[in-house]
Amino acid sequence: MIEWLQSYENVIALVFVNSILGIGVYLMLSVNRFSLATGGLVGMGAYVSTLATLHTGLPFAAAVALGTLAAALVALLLGTPVLRLEGDYFALGTLAFTEVFRVIAFNWDSVTGGALGLDAIPVRTTLPQLAGVLAALVIAVLALRGGRLGRIMEATRLDDMPAQSLGIDVARVRLAVFVFSGAVCGLGGALAAHMNSFIGPNDFGLQRSLDAVAYAVLGGLGHVAGAIAGATVFTVLPEVLRFSAQAREILMALILLLAIVFLPRGMLSVGGLAAPRGRGRAARPATAEASR
Amino acid sequence: MLPIKKHLLALGVLGLAISTVLTIPAAAAAEVVKIGLVQTTTGGSAALYGIEQKNAIQLVVDEANASGKLGDLKLELIHYDDGADRNQTVNIFQRLIAQDKVSAILGPTLATSAYAADPLAQKAGIPVVASSNTAAGLTTRLGDYIFRVSPPEDNVTPNVLKTVIGRYGVKRAAQIYGIDDQLTKSAYGVQKKALEDNGIPIVATETFQRGDVDFAAQLTKIKAQNPDLIVIGALAEEAAGIVRQARQLGISQKVVFVGTQSAISTKFFELGGAGAEGVIVGTAWFAELDNPVSKAFIANYASRYKHPPDIYSAYGHDAASLLVEAIRRARSGDSKRIRAELVGIRNYPGVLGPIGFDANRDPTVQPKILVGRNGRFVPFEAK
Amino acid sequence: MNVFLQQTINGVALGATYAVFAVGFTLLFGVLNVLNLAQGSILMVGAFAGLELTLALHWPLLPSFLAAMAIAGGIALLSELLVFGPLARRGANRWMGLVASLALSRLLIAIVQEVFGTQVRRFPPAPWTGHVWQFGAVRVQSLQVVVIVAAVVLMAVLAYVLRRTRVGLAIRTMAFRPSVAQLVGVPVARLRLLTYFLTGALAGAAGVQLGVLYDAVSPFMGENILLKGLSALILGGLGHVPGAAIGGLVLGLTEVYSVAYLQSSLRDAVAFGAIFLVLVCRPSGLFGTATRQRA
Repeated sequence: MIEWLQSYENVIALVFVNSILGIGVYLMLSVNRFSLATGGLVGMGAYVSTLATLHTGLPFAAAVALGTLAAALVALLLGTPVLRLEGDYFALGTLAFTEVFRVIAFNWDSVTGGALGLDAIPVRTTLPQLAGVLAALVIAVLALRGGRLGRIMEATRLDDMPAQSLGIDVARVRLAVFVFSGAVCGLGGALAAHMNSFIGPNDFGLQRSLDAVAYAVLGGLGHVAGAIAGATVFTVLPEVLRFSAQAREILMALILLLAIVFLPRGMLSVGGLAAPRGRGRAARPATAEASR
Repeated sequence: MLPIKKHLLALGVLGLAISTVLTIPAAAAAEVVKIGLVQTTTGGSAALYGIEQKNAIQLVVDEANASGKLGDLKLELIHYDDGADRNQTVNIFQRLIAQDKVSAILGPTLATSAYAADPLAQKAGIPVVASSNTAAGLTTRLGDYIFRVSPPEDNVTPNVLKTVIGRYGVKRAAQIYGIDDQLTKSAYGVQKKALEDNGIPIVATETFQRGDVDFAAQLTKIKAQNPDLIVIGALAEEAAGIVRQARQLGISQKVVFVGTQSAISTKFFELGGAGAEGVIVGTAWFAELDNPVSKAFIANYASRYKHPPDIYSAYGHDAASLLVEAIRRARSGDSKRIRAELVGIRNYPGVLGPIGFDANRDPTVQPKILVGRNGRFVPFEAK
Repeated sequence: MNVFLQQTINGVALGATYAVFAVGFTLLFGVLNVLNLAQGSILMVGAFAGLELTLALHWPLLPSFLAAMAIAGGIALLSELLVFGPLARRGANRWMGLVASLALSRLLIAIVQEVFGTQVRRFPPAPWTGHVWQFGAVRVQSLQVVVIVAAVVLMAVLAYVLRRTRVGLAIRTMAFRPSVAQLVGVPVARLRLLTYFLTGALAGAAGVQLGVLYDAVSPFMGENILLKGLSALILGGLGHVPGAAIGGLVLGLTEVYSVAYLQSSLRDAVAFGAIFLVLVCRPSGLFGTATRQRA
């Protein structure tokens, strides 16, 4: 058992990290905004915390905190102009941000190590740490959703106007959630950076953002556990399929496609678990009018 | 002796005899020595090197097992493809070390992956023998369990450039290299220093990324500066694309192209077209090498795999051969002993010639200069 | 000056391929509100189809090109039949469609890799491909001309179909208001299939163009292009077809110029920085209107 844990330690750790990132996306989707900023925000947390560990004497926890704060700050700065944009444009704006971040990291040799990134990062993240952070995060999100703020978030998710007519400052709610989600991404990034002893700009581009979206959506958007389920399947599947080197990629993609087509509400909808609340009319197919 | 004691003695001797007989088969059973084979077989240029190395290593191990030269030991190769993704390489190394419990690892294909994954092997005390990591300083940086048979660029390039500069009377040079790979980046540094040491001004420096296919903009800029020599730091696919587009853009045949070892591949001429003609590289092996081990290898490889081997097959062969020799000398699969034996190998008859490891665990081989002619790399006429 | 002209030619050729791809991309978005991230892989499939037909069956380029377009269109059509259509009917939210397109993309790449290997492959040289016209110090390759002409023809045909045929009118109606389209009797399901086919064919065309222009076809060529397509979309305005074409052209030129006059590693930065600015200052793109212009 211990041996099994050891050889798959990396995979399990990755599941935890990806779950954290998936939750970041889930939070934004809960207020009806599709964010592709995950890559850039994770990168922010990763690079800042790494630079802190490598160049200053900061202890690990402080470096991680610094990374988290940096990402939250960037989310604040980014969110203010970009959240004004309507759904699709917001998504594209966050995409542009992530790619700009990646390119800057790619070129800024002196600070970020350029294309090859930074290595010889001290390995400090442990499995119990990750598990603890994830657990704390889930509790925080559940508490959030269960309370008044949760109801406000739900209101903003469904439609802006009724929420506004009730006196809710929709824009501020969204920004607050975006900043929180940014902090979550930064935290994940800082922890991930101290897992493998190296980071590079290509770890933080569009692909990263899309993967995080996949975790949340695949798992199901009705409950925070969906992001964890999605992240687990996505991360573990390639390892499980490692036995068939040839067809591994094909199998993986096929399984994912089938999962999506047969469980269009996400994996968690299997037991009728956690269908997103109040979906009813708003959940109509991908037509132009429904999801503006 | 009293009758009882006699019986007891007899029983004792019988028991001893029986237990000895019973343990003999156990001692004669083969001990399996597992070796991790981490070579990229999918994913761009890296696969071009990885497949050749894997083939050659497989050949060597099969031969070793069949010949019985390892006595009771039997070698088992466990192959994983990392898809040229260093995160995958790390996962694979972890799995090989903790789960498959390998005694040694052959690979990985790319220097970039080595920087990421080798530290795990170093920490666990598992020796790694690479056959395609040619980035400068890799073995010293990563630790004393890391070996390689592929000569680092800083042992090869300076001599190549010096010869070429002298032979062609080069006055101006340009460089183009990939910024996102450990090898190409370190090659750039080595080339730059060599050019400067020879007093050649570098009139243009251009960059590209792995996977790029469009070099028109960079080559147009280079062409405008009229260099006599263009030094390329690229993996095989990109190098081929560069030389081909260079000719298409009208860069004169008189301009000399020098590449790194990574430009050499069985597909270089196919992908490079007319541009591959005349490209100069430095490396430690070529097909016409007058060496019986090499000739035998070429014949065996070609008959098994239906195409001729390239330098990566040759490197793979020698990496595997040296590891097998170390295991043979150690007479066990104990990683520490294998490593100790590896360090002590001198002048082993390899495909590359007499080969061993120096103090930095780099190979002791004599690099040669080759030029592309009519679809093959042949020795360069340096006169 | 010569260098500038040369780089401009390079940029126009590149931009032409981006334009063809972006137009298909934006059409799908504009008409069906679908962001199909598998478009890049469909482009790649088109490139491989074209390559195989010229290599294995020794077809000349033009029939291969058209056949590749048809094959790519067919794949897109299949994806609507098997994936996107069912998803839409089962009430999946549009993010699910997006994730599905990602999975589809990976599947296509995996299959092509399995069948054709991962290495870059070349188009076989034809007698006319090496031809170069020299205008002073500026070289224009025959390949570049072919690619540009093909792009222009394709877009002219598309414009004609959209503006002057009944089918085009139906498509534009669907883009404007799907409910209205249903009311006036437009066969929505069939038109969805047709739109997917058209956009797939355009992606396939762009794939062959790229493969021929850079003489390199690999299973991974689509991923990069996807990002470029998205950028062109933003520049031109989501759903705006002529905008996407111009966006593609501008993107190609910007890329080449930034490599030529700045540094190649910054080429993506310039493109994305510009897009970011566009989004923040004028989110509807250079040509879109505030109420999201379609087709």
